[in-house]
Amino acid sequence: MKEGRRSFLKKTVVGTGVLAASNFPYIWVKNSSLAYAAKGEVKVGVLFSLTGTTGIIEESLNKATIMAIEEINDSGGINGMKITPVVEDPASDPATFAAKARKLVLNDRCVSVFGSYTSASRKAVLPVFEKRENLYWYPTLYEGRECSKNVIYTGAVPNQQQDEFVPWLVEKFGKRWYLIGSNYIYPKEENNYCKKLLADLGCEVVAEEYVPLGHSEFASVVNKFRSEKPNVIFSTVVGDSVVALHRQYRAAGLDPETMPMASLTTSENEVAAMGGDAAAGHFTSAPYFQVWDSPENQKFVEAYRKRWGEDKVTHFVSEPSYFQVYMFKQAVEKLDPSDISPQTIREAVKGVELVAPQGLVRLDPATLHTYLWPKIGVCKSDGQFEILKQSSEWLAPVPYKAYPDQVCTEAGLKQV
Amino acid sequence: MDPITIISQLVTGLSIASILLLVALGLAIIYGATGVINLAHGEFVMLGAYSAWALQTFFNMSLFESLIFIFIIVALLGWAIERTVIRHLYARPLDTILATWGIGVIAQQAIRLTAGGELRYVEMPKQLADSVLIFGVEISSFRIFVLIFAATLFGLTWYLMYRTTFGIKLRAITQNPEVASSFGINSNRVFGLTFAYGAGLAGLAGALISPLKSVSPEMGTTYVVDAFLIVVLGGVESLMGTVLSAIILGELSSILSFYSNDTIAKALVLLAIVILIRFRPQGLFSSKVRS
Amino acid sequence: MSAVIDEKSKLVINETSKRYSNTKSQIIIYGIVCALIFIVPSFMDNAYLLNKFSTYLIMGMLAMALSLSWGYGGILNLGQAVSFGLGSYCMAMALKLRTVPIHTGAEGLPDFMVWNNVETLPLIWQPFHSLTLAVFLGIAVPVVFAMLVGWFMFKGRITGVYVAIITLAILVVVNLLIIDQQRITGGFNGITDLAQLEVFGFEFDAYSSSAYYLIAIFLTLSLFLALAITKSKTGKILQAVRDHEDRVRYFGYDVSHFQIFVFAVSAGISGLAGMLYTIVMEFASPTFLGVHLSLSIVIWCAVGGRQSLIGAMLGAIFVVGIQGSLSESETFLETWTLVMGFIFVMVVLFLPKGIAGAFESLAARIRQKN
Repeated sequence: MKEGRRSFLKKTVVGTGVLAASNFPYIWVKNSSLAYAAKGEVKVGVLFSLTGTTGIIEESLNKATIMAIEEINDSGGINGMKITPVVEDPASDPATFAAKARKLVLNDRCVSVFGSYTSASRKAVLPVFEKRENLYWYPTLYEGRECSKNVIYTGAVPNQQQDEFVPWLVEKFGKRWYLIGSNYIYPKEENNYCKKLLADLGCEVVAEEYVPLGHSEFASVVNKFRSEKPNVIFSTVVGDSVVALHRQYRAAGLDPETMPMASLTTSENEVAAMGGDAAAGHFTSAPYFQVWDSPENQKFVEAYRKRWGEDKVTHFVSEPSYFQVYMFKQAVEKLDPSDISPQTIREAVKGVELVAPQGLVRLDPATLHTYLWPKIGVCKSDGQFEILKQSSEWLAPVPYKAYPDQVCTEAGLKQV
Repeated sequence: MDPITIISQLVTGLSIASILLLVALGLAIIYGATGVINLAHGEFVMLGAYSAWALQTFFNMSLFESLIFIFIIVALLGWAIERTVIRHLYARPLDTILATWGIGVIAQQAIRLTAGGELRYVEMPKQLADSVLIFGVEISSFRIFVLIFAATLFGLTWYLMYRTTFGIKLRAITQNPEVASSFGINSNRVFGLTFAYGAGLAGLAGALISPLKSVSPEMGTTYVVDAFLIVVLGGVESLMGTVLSAIILGELSSILSFYSNDTIAKALVLLAIVILIRFRPQGLFSSKVRS
Repeated sequence: MSAVIDEKSKLVINETSKRYSNTKSQIIIYGIVCALIFIVPSFMDNAYLLNKFSTYLIMGMLAMALSLSWGYGGILNLGQAVSFGLGSYCMAMALKLRTVPIHTGAEGLPDFMVWNNVETLPLIWQPFHSLTLAVFLGIAVPVVFAMLVGWFMFKGRITGVYVAIITLAILVVVNLLIIDQQRITGGFNGITDLAQLEVFGFEFDAYSSSAYYLIAIFLTLSLFLALAITKSKTGKILQAVRDHEDRVRYFGYDVSHFQIFVFAVSAGISGLAGMLYTIVMEFASPTFLGVHLSLSIVIWCAVGGRQSLIGAMLGAIFVVGIQGSLSESETFLETWTLVMGFIFVMVVLFLPKGIAGAFESLAARIRQKN
């Protein structure tokens, strides 16, 4: 009976649908069965906020992505096909992210979408990509512990930022650490990993504190720094809070020589907003800095400034936003145009290597994360970093590094 | 807790209070006199910060030099908004919430399109970049400057309200518009100037917090709720109340965030305010309730 | 004595209800609008558009709920999103417990709890193993919360601006706590990766007409429930309270009871809307109880006409629809917020009673001429 009613309902719905389709204009039923690559173009979505709180950073990711697409199209496209970007503004709001992702995947039939800065927005769009078997290209460093087969991760995971950084800091500055972060999953997970590394090194965590996202009054926090006197302040504060924290640290007269802030999130972008004076002497670990000396990076920085303005900076999230489009290109190039789909692209991108501005990177076939080149930089008063150390070889992504009983494999997450 | 920490927390509280007061003062005047619930107040703060940025970037002015221009720029903007939109809404105060929210949205996007979406940088005056020792506590010189500046602005505003003809007219209109106009006071003009003055104060607040924080199109939204709570808590038309409630809020957040964390501190402060408003809607330091 | 009061109260009530006397034509209009909503899927074979329209209907429901308390009860609730969010989280918790976590490998424990090093399912999550209980809680929790807040405010005779400020502050507090308590709530990321709603073997796919009809049914039901309330004696007293609170009090009514009642009903409808929103969005997020959404509801209501349930509802659908299509068009990609802000200001200035109010006065003018 239950089944009967259900199929009856379905029939009614389908029936009226067919009726409607025959009577009503073509637009209502458009391209539900067309191939992904048609008319010599490949459609991709570009989903970075242009407005709202994280728009300040995501705008630069949008710019890097657009620039890469323009470059590829200007030099002949992919096997003669143009990449057509569909740009949407998700307005820093997870619900809008989900809505726009649906539009790009279902309505515009994009074969891939480049997007997201915050983990919250990635989590919000994930169901769309997983249920609709599409592909999301995520350029941001993040907390790891994800093993989706519908996301290509080109940013760093905790092991790629911390494995060299934490022991180096301990040796240079000491064993008393103060962990401060914004109040959400990314800082907590980075700190989980950091505490593990610190415990192995016999260090002491004097405090672990989280401030609300968008927080800008750090007077009390600075007082706590002063009374706790840690050797290192490990910061995973994000967004404009980073700027406020650094400026207030500087204004309070604390000294980076004895109590430096070591950050995973402070890039040239934030430094430009806080001024070199407030940033000088603090450390960041990332796979990319604007000053990195390589022909590819020189070309990238020059092109970026020429396209978007001389005062613009490149940073460790805009660089993956740029090179992941080239990874996309390499993957699509391998495919026959009639065969292009999110799934075939995912298979084709596995193991792809290219010389990115940061160095030779490779997409790990098992985890769909990227082999990167961790670097340690210290900020100078001119607002740029000086690179103190680069790892001697590319570092494999291990999204479950803090949890040795779990491994991300090509078939999905495995318990060991 | 050692005495040094106690003193430094108290001073921190005062510093937070002075920033809150700077932002809330303009709102207190506008809300107290006209009853307009100005949700675009945060955007006036933001416009002040962007004016500071623009004057510094394009005219090479230091923060001190630019303060007077910032006040004039934002006050003029405020005046223009009052003349075109707000003055039609004095009879419908709740509708001002909607209109000013719309204005805020417009202001944010207009800035994003003209000044760019990225975070902007306003340089801290060189003379105040460091810290000084007071009572054995190391304090940012700039924060002390903000504290003094806020106190001075408050004094000026108090003088304006209680010792000048303009202030007397304004208070007369607030207390009884009919009687005031029968005495020949032009309430239209007075309200316009009040709004402009309040906006100008907000602009100064924005300029002064920009060297401690970051400048972005959305920066104002975080201040407007806090500022409102302070004004309501202090009591309508009570400038003194605004100061005292800013101090209470500043000290409370300073102490609570030292003992717990900033999230819990903020939640507790808000709850405390809700309870206070429930039992004293007229505010802590005023006897009048806005109907 | 009481008879006298009743007589007099009738007078007051009749005075205020005269303007709303045309019940029959109202029911017809409401019926037509609902019928139109129901036939939309037959014109549409596009899963994306159907899903989008589903979200519009939910926003319409939210605005309608606010117009009940604001337009009829005179209670300007700037924290309407609290009840919406609570409902949405209740549904998300139930659906979360029905997913197999793919990123953590842990059985029975939501993935974000594993990420937050939680080892056993918190007590507060236990009831959500039962979908029936979850649906009940999705309405009951917002209602009870609203009753508490309402009791707190209205027993103290708080009105006007102070109601707006208290509700706004409570919204911010609840939002802060949800973001802070991420071991239980998923924090800033919210609760994602949910199972599909399945009732008696029937699946409500977010992109199908089944979810759309589910929403349309509840929208219609709550719309007529709200209409019935406004037509009831309680509704009339409420409108009298809105216009002359003191007079109603002189007649011996306890004004606060009526205010708490309408505040709670409005919260219940929002909670229901929140549950439906989780079903079509496939996640719950603290932005669902954000200041931005909460103020937007007020704006939709004002644009549509706060004193008309259907006006508020259509206002929301209209504004969200324009917003959606503007932000999707290439021309307005950068200026859509500018245009929206401009529209709000214009509506407040020139259509103080919203679009519905404009229609009403137009109709009244035509009637007068005839």
